[in-house]
Amino acid sequence: MKKINTEISLGIIIIAFLVFWSIGWELYGRFVMGSFLSPYTPASNIQKELIPPGSGDYLLGTDIYGRSVLEILSIGLSYSLSMALLVSFSAVSIGIIVGYLSVVGHKWVRVVSDLSTNLIFIFPRILIAIMIMSVTGQSFAGLLFALVITSWPGYAKIARGETMRVMGLAYVESAKAVGMSDMRLFFTVVLPSILPLLLVHFVMGISGVIISEATLGFLGLGGSEYSWGTMLSMAKNVLLEAPYLVIILSLSMVLPIMGLNLLGDGLRDYLDPHSSKE
Amino acid sequence: MKNVVKRLAYSFFTIILAVTAIFFVIRMAPGDPVSRILGPEASLEEVFLYRQQLGLDLPLYKQYITYFLNLSKGDLGSSLYKKKDVFSLIKARMIPTFTLALLSIFISCILGTFLGALAAFYKSKTYDNVSRTISLLALSFPIFSLAPILVYIFAIKLKLVPVSEWGEIRHAILPVVTLVIPLSSIILRVARNKYLEESSAPWITVLKAKGMSEFGVFLRLVKVCLPSILNVVAIQLSIVLAGAMISETIFDIPGMGSLLFEGIQNRDYPIVQGVIIYSTIIYMCVYFLIDYLNSLIDPRIEF
Repeated sequence: MKKINTEISLGIIIIAFLVFWSIGWELYGRFVMGSFLSPYTPASNIQKELIPPGSGDYLLGTDIYGRSVLEILSIGLSYSLSMALLVSFSAVSIGIIVGYLSVVGHKWVRVVSDLSTNLIFIFPRILIAIMIMSVTGQSFAGLLFALVITSWPGYAKIARGETMRVMGLAYVESAKAVGMSDMRLFFTVVLPSILPLLLVHFVMGISGVIISEATLGFLGLGGSEYSWGTMLSMAKNVLLEAPYLVIILSLSMVLPIMGLNLLGDGLRDYLDPHSSKE
Repeated sequence: MKNVVKRLAYSFFTIILAVTAIFFVIRMAPGDPVSRILGPEASLEEVFLYRQQLGLDLPLYKQYITYFLNLSKGDLGSSLYKKKDVFSLIKARMIPTFTLALLSIFISCILGTFLGALAAFYKSKTYDNVSRTISLLALSFPIFSLAPILVYIFAIKLKLVPVSEWGEIRHAILPVVTLVIPLSSIILRVARNKYLEESSAPWITVLKAKGMSEFGVFLRLVKVCLPSILNVVAIQLSIVLAGAMISETIFDIPGMGSLLFEGIQNRDYPIVQGVIIYSTIIYMCVYFLIDYLNSLIDPRIEF
């Protein structure tokens, strides 16, 4: 058993903090009216716009609509975390299934799944998402679709490679010869060997989805006004009047991405059989 | 040579597939550009006439064939609003985007390779740890959150560079820096790992035993690491292109990015289509070029 490195523990601490914060905020906002950190509902008092942080009741100040920054940040956090998790889970499931089918499926299934994986893979990711969002308009479903479509081919490629490797092993061949069904083979042999490989990519993929989602929001193609990207593009316009907005929003957006990157990086070192302890 | 032809044919086929996909996706979308242009007050006849004028009343397969015939002549159609050829619009906006992308790739390659080699040289020392931490931090900043912070610090507080202008070389400093920071961090990490992997290889020991100077060994090592660095550039290229487009909108640079986003905001489909097709083609060309360069640098790499 290797020692868990600092990167993993740091990443886990950051992510756990953010997850608990967003869950806690959701619970607090739903069940306790208002909140003691910022006792104002969004957009309740328009006159109090652009109050710098640390003054009076607003811990982190207010934005151009007079909303408490802490509040919109927390809503944005749970929005972007849940979005990223939803997208990544769907993408990973599609990726595994397509990757598996592109090896063991019927000839036509193989051709189609290979072709669609490669086709989406060669496009610049963010451009596909932009195209889909510009076509479907700004809706939550459209955003979900755009992000899943651009995320799954990466997983499918890895799943395909690993399935190919596993299917050539002697014990799999003998299992097939004995008459084990494809379905059972998938769950008992292929899936357990794909999952650890995909773990690092999954963690990094979540941070990728957070960035893509925020990019779309920043360009005015987001699915919600509480997307961090949307907030940041609003803050960018008042950079001269209220620089604290941009700085707070940017730094807090970096936090989950950094946590996930740390975790992914640490996991890669941890799982890599070649990296003996340094 | 045979491989080159094969690769070219493959790239060409992919581009055709991509264009087809874009064509149908755009037309599958709900909403009609004609009624958007003419507004809600337009009569049915006007809409019908306009549709006929644009060729939107033909069956889908005929539209597809005309689109392809036009595309093969380099004609991407014309903008629905500006009444201008999409190709000429793109051509006018291309230079800033490419200046940004190429400059930042060039600088990042040099910076990343050098710093990465240095980090490998001082492995597990303070410099290495600091550079790893900083590069991880830099990777966590999305371009659009890095850019406003840099603008605030260097343009507004320190007044070193203008906020948003375009034309002189110093106006490109901030946009390029925003692109260089994440890209060079990725290259740094890859270069460091590759360098470490190779520096303990037997052939390095042989070179040293033969009495080659430290610098000579270093140059050989860099040459060996180049293909992996170029591969990273190829993978990151789409991100760099998209990043250049995003930083254009932040710094108000008249490039392809701002064209694309104007197009999106106006629902000007030919422009969106054109920019995306164009950048995909460029992307594939560069990918092709990088594979070719790699096979030149390292003959073991198959082209």
